[in-house]
Amino acid sequence: MRKIRKYWFLGSLAIIMAVLLCRYLPFTVEAQTETPLWPGAEAGAQALKGPALTLLTPTTDAKLRVFAQALALVEEQYAEPKPVKDLVYGAIQGVVSTLDPHSSFMNPEDFRELQIETKGKFSGIGIEITMKDRILTVVSPIEGTPAYQAGLMAGDQIVKINGQTTKNMSLTEAVKMIRGPKNSKVTLTINREGFTQPRDFSIVREIIPIRSIKARILDGGIGYIRLSTFQDQTDSDLRAMLKKMQQRLSPFKGLVLDLRNDPGGLLDQAVRVADEFLSSGLIVYTEGRNPQQSMRFYARAGHKLESASVPLVVLINEGSASASEIVAGALKDQKRAVIMGTKSFGKGSVQTIIPLEDGSALRLTTALYYTPSGQVINEKGIIPDILVEEKQPPPGKTLQNLRDEAMAKHMKKEGLTDKPWDRPITTAELDQDLPLKRAVEVLRTWPPKKLAQQPKG
Amino acid sequence: MENGKLKNQQQPGVFRRGRVWKVVAIFLILAAALYWQPLYSAGPVQGYDSLRLLTEALYEISQKFVYQKSEDEMMDGALRGMMNSLDPDSSFLSPLEYKDLRDGKKGQVAEAGVELIFKDHLLTVASALDNGPAYRTGLRQGDHILKVNGHLVRNLTGQEAARRFQGPPNTAIKLQVIRNGVVKPLDFTVTLEPLTGSSVNSQMVGDSLGYIRIGYFNDATHRDLASAIKALQRQPTPLRGVVLDLRNNARGTLEQGVRSASVWLGDKQIISTKGRIPETTQAYQGKVQDLAWKSPVPVVVLIDPGTARAAEVMAAALKDQAGAVLLGEKSLGLCGLNRLMPLPDGSALIMTVAQCYTVQGHKIQGKGLEPDIPGKKLTAPVATSKDTPKPPSPDQDPWVIQAVEILKSGKPPKLAHKGDS
Repeated sequence: MRKIRKYWFLGSLAIIMAVLLCRYLPFTVEAQTETPLWPGAEAGAQALKGPALTLLTPTTDAKLRVFAQALALVEEQYAEPKPVKDLVYGAIQGVVSTLDPHSSFMNPEDFRELQIETKGKFSGIGIEITMKDRILTVVSPIEGTPAYQAGLMAGDQIVKINGQTTKNMSLTEAVKMIRGPKNSKVTLTINREGFTQPRDFSIVREIIPIRSIKARILDGGIGYIRLSTFQDQTDSDLRAMLKKMQQRLSPFKGLVLDLRNDPGGLLDQAVRVADEFLSSGLIVYTEGRNPQQSMRFYARAGHKLESASVPLVVLINEGSASASEIVAGALKDQKRAVIMGTKSFGKGSVQTIIPLEDGSALRLTTALYYTPSGQVINEKGIIPDILVEEKQPPPGKTLQNLRDEAMAKHMKKEGLTDKPWDRPITTAELDQDLPLKRAVEVLRTWPPKKLAQQPKG
Repeated sequence: MENGKLKNQQQPGVFRRGRVWKVVAIFLILAAALYWQPLYSAGPVQGYDSLRLLTEALYEISQKFVYQKSEDEMMDGALRGMMNSLDPDSSFLSPLEYKDLRDGKKGQVAEAGVELIFKDHLLTVASALDNGPAYRTGLRQGDHILKVNGHLVRNLTGQEAARRFQGPPNTAIKLQVIRNGVVKPLDFTVTLEPLTGSSVNSQMVGDSLGYIRIGYFNDATHRDLASAIKALQRQPTPLRGVVLDLRNNARGTLEQGVRSASVWLGDKQIISTKGRIPETTQAYQGKVQDLAWKSPVPVVVLIDPGTARAAEVMAAALKDQAGAVLLGEKSLGLCGLNRLMPLPDGSALIMTVAQCYTVQGHKIQGKGLEPDIPGKKLTAPVATSKDTPKPPSPDQDPWVIQAVEILKSGKPPKLAHKGDS
């Protein structure tokens, strides 16, 4: 009886010690640099999947060993314990920042946020907000959304969200607090000119589709469409708008596609938008170091175009980037449109989002865009067929002043696209926007003579 | 049979030994569990997972990034990124940078006069030395440096950045700076200068109050401070109090802070540090022969977000041990012991191995010191150009005036503190 107890006891002690030692041993080995770090350790090797290690060179392997040693030093000797995961996130962040400015690392939380944004839908109340003089301010409530129906107005200051003061709150934090599950309620405390004291607005959240398209028309059968970004539904919104214009303007004698200050968005949307105006041919191609990154995108042959052969002018400026440049480049090279304005931004690199196994992700520049004629977009930009500078700032005024004024007008609902789409743009409005005015002139005297004389690019 | 006999004879002994064993073993298991516990929870298994994440990321980059990238550069980036994520004083030196540090680059006698930290991924001015080149061109605490000589600043550590702000005298450095509240980046050109003059200035405000400004700490500060105090004590009218100005002062080591506090406090305890390496946990005490005050006077210490490191050590010690009133805004919260750790490939880590705790046990690192009395809100608008207004002279400085009022009211500082909070 006693014998059994004794052996049972010694046995279990041995097992416990063995377990502890197993846990501990690989770790000490790691700290000593002699053995190759994770490939060596059984536990690690088992967990490793795929070719990750085998394809790393000996230099990397040696460097990784140094890194592991540094990691162990931080784990053991840093003033206070730090989660290993955070250290490794810091390291990946560090690696990525040696790449190009468009590559980045997203921890799982950032990555989730991003997925919400590019989906173009979120449970919210339908307001655009901004920091104005460090006060959280409503830029505009989107028509037809809960915020709009509740009576929020442009220029409203958001003092509190659910009772929590917005002082010292970042824009992202505020957006996070306003967003929430569908049908849940959020209370905004609003300060408005004319209020004697801030007033509470309780608003029920709904799924809000973000619209990237705004439009107007001009007398003489000319349409104006402005894309502010390329998102999930941009192409279908565009098609729907073109259809409406087709019906409203008969004959449809010309279209201005305004891509100024459109920072881009989804690549497939750029292709689809260009496809709306092209019946065949190459739209864009990409090339990277990895052959997998070389892709060619063509217009779908034979699909019905809402805009058929409507004369087209595309407006670009130094704020037109990425997807905007792809559309402008394709329509320019295929001679489908006259490009007007100023040289575009020159952001023609493809970022691929590569999810990592723990829910974080890399956004990597994996390829460069080329227009159908083989022109690289990155850093070169798209050169307009007809150069039209935006209004020169009058003496004593900077471009920033002008932008502030434009913003103020927009806040008062005086902007070009703040009015219903089917209300014609007036001459006075046109005078405010020189490139648009020139674009309309070109459409009214179609075909453009100047273009015919230009040497082929 | 013999065997059995033997066993029988020894049985009681074995039994007794078994008991002892049990106790010892249970103790061992407990000790082992305690000892290995952190490893167990955050150790190898999770460590491998995390390293696997790094290799996964490196693999994806090596395969898919549009340009070929040097592996050395990427791995240095990884180390730098990890160290940057710890705190503004922890950093990484590449083999070349570490070599420069050991050799002590020649001709690095001039500097821009700024203390820089990495904050929210931005290189930020922690403090600009009084009347230093950077200060004179308009650079201020809180400014974010976007570009140096046209190059975007990315993933630099504070120390490494600091070295870019040193060089032969008259070297001009072009900076692009973002300032809170200003939409457009500001351009500055800073010309490097050797640092001259004393770090301590003093004068009388009114006829019975002293004002001492410490702009930064170096190895001479405690002596300069002692002479300033002695000079104030020689004034014909007895001193009724002192305003010690430690704003915009992020330069100075813990030891320099301790030495200067000791001028005020003699052999009292000044600060303590706590870390995970046993020898980094210790208490710092002043020296009785350093004491410069003949008799203690009430003191108000001015602090702001540019107050860090040695200045925080001194402010905290004066509050806890001399009843000083802290006036102004919360300090930066940067106080620790750093250690240089060479790695086998010639690179090195600079790591914070311990953090400061005030005599009352308040942690400074990352938290800063809260003022006892908030400084009056300054109504001056944000300087939107580089023509940053000159700071007012002490007798016109709103916070100095506020401090003078407290001292003049004659209330013991402790009471003033209570009354306020």
